Amino acid sequence: MALGGVVAVATIALFGTLPTLGADAGSAAHSAQEAAHASASHGTADHAHVAVSVFSLKQIAHSYLTAYMFCLSLCVGSLFLTLAHHLFDAGWSASIRRVTETVASLLFPWMLILALPIIGFAWTGNLHAWFKINPADDHALDVKKVLFNPMAFTVMVPTLITLLGLLARQIRAWSIAQDKDGAAHWTSKSRKLSAAGIFLFAFGVTLLCFLLMKSLQHQFFSTMYGVYYFAGSVWTTLITLYLLTMWLSQPGRPLEKVYFKRQQQDLAVLFFAFTVFYAYIHFSQYFLIWNAALPEETFWYVRREVGSWKWVGMIILFGHFFVPFLLLLNQDIKRNMAVMIPVGAWAWLMQYIDMTYNVMPVVHPDGLHLTLWDPIFWIGMSVLLGRLFWSEYQKNPPYPLKDPRLQEAIVHHEVPAPGASAAH
Amino acid sequence: MNSNRSKPHGLLAEFHTAADIFEAAMRCRDAGFTQWDVYTPFPIHGMDEAMGLRKSPVGWFTFCGGFTGFFTGMTMIWYMNKFDYPLVVGGKPLFTPLYAFPVSYEMTILLSAFGTLFGMFFLNQLPKFYNPLFKNERFKKSTDDRFFLCIEATDPKFGMDATRTFLTEKCHAAVVELVED
Repeated sequence: MALGGVVAVATIALFGTLPTLGADAGSAAHSAQEAAHASASHGTADHAHVAVSVFSLKQIAHSYLTAYMFCLSLCVGSLFLTLAHHLFDAGWSASIRRVTETVASLLFPWMLILALPIIGFAWTGNLHAWFKINPADDHALDVKKVLFNPMAFTVMVPTLITLLGLLARQIRAWSIAQDKDGAAHWTSKSRKLSAAGIFLFAFGVTLLCFLLMKSLQHQFFSTMYGVYYFAGSVWTTLITLYLLTMWLSQPGRPLEKVYFKRQQQDLAVLFFAFTVFYAYIHFSQYFLIWNAALPEETFWYVRREVGSWKWVGMIILFGHFFVPFLLLLNQDIKRNMAVMIPVGAWAWLMQYIDMTYNVMPVVHPDGLHLTLWDPIFWIGMSVLLGRLFWSEYQKNPPYPLKDPRLQEAIVHHEVPAPGASAAH
Repeated sequence: MNSNRSKPHGLLAEFHTAADIFEAAMRCRDAGFTQWDVYTPFPIHGMDEAMGLRKSPVGWFTFCGGFTGFFTGMTMIWYMNKFDYPLVVGGKPLFTPLYAFPVSYEMTILLSAFGTLFGMFFLNQLPKFYNPLFKNERFKKSTDDRFFLCIEATDPKFGMDATRTFLTEKCHAAVVELVED
């Protein structure tokens, strides 16, 4: 978790000065113009134009939500990797599956408990503006009130997190049961559940990020949004898993004998693939909106071109895509710790900035304003969940001991170095 | 032609399982042979390392192709829409990397694929119309259920008897001699 601290300090060092840059007169005028444009085109006021003070509940609520969405992305990313392992009947990932199973199991009850303050913030009018708007006064809300109404939010958010969490827990429970008897039917049960679970996952994650994050600006439309959140989530999870399993496989640690460089390479390759996939998805969302140029959609990005938000967007474009993409093109780099550890810290930072980019322009239309709350919640929540993960992880065997595919993960693809065959 | 009749091409060893040829490949690697290859009905994981092959340079052809494609796409659209025949479409700027991106992206993929394919052809000296292996009747099973390893006579370590002994005794394979034809 020292990683989180380093990343947070780097964030503050990097962006601490940006708000003053963004707060110049030119961008303030631009912002006012944009606001006028947005309200004229919608017939509704775009809420929250007044910058909020650091100690207001509104600021705390948004900082909390940003941190929550970051942590949620690791949990849903891990759930996806677990489901994908079973769906593809994969061999190579068997020995690292216990890690993703355990991270995904944090969804229930821990992520559920951590979601409760968000519901509280929303009801007290500190988060989603539509909690306090009469749909009759706002056409954009009126057409979406089936989903965006306080009752639906209060019921759906906890239910979805619980369902995803129970899915993760069930698969993990079967995997642990298999540690005892080694019966193959646990694997086929998990595969069947994963086949249904992937649908629950797709709908659940999409609805969750619509409700929690996208609806902060409920006027916005994007069919890409769910996939966008998913792509960033799996991206962050893969590099986290890469570094975590790397650490767990050091001499004397539990994965030492079951984790090899091929698996490490495969994780890095998947991370690389999701770098491209994320960029593809985010670019598609941006490009379609830009090309169609409908005010109902463009306002979301127009608002994110105000002040320093424009540079945050550029950081996401270059930092989330170009830098890791060009860096990881080379095969050998993917196992070079001197590169991969900084890339991991960088990826955490990028995912957090991406969440900030989605959440914060609502309360800080003039540009990025980092407050003390951001690192407090981000690091606090990461450390808390990290500790919960570690205590859960230690309660059970560190890898599926009797998984039928474990042998494949261990012996396959490993070739003795020159000279080794002479011993035969 | 006739002078080639008795000129040896190499020794062909036949194996029944992937594990056997894998083991044999490691022995050949460790024995220091350089002019040899394996022929299997399907890809065998880890064979590259077992053979001691270095990393393929094909990636560089791919990279150069992709790089060229991306900038060709960008330049082409800039030239056509902004320079040669400025045309306003849908109130959009005459040129921005944004709308040029999808085309540049496709060009990147296209030329990357060309780079990969033709780079691979070039490095493998393809197309090649003839190889003495094709004359061997048993070799046809390399697309079915047999695994072959061929050490060529051009290998500096090749010696007809020594290599044959190596393949039969160390690698436990059925060995036949191939001739140039």
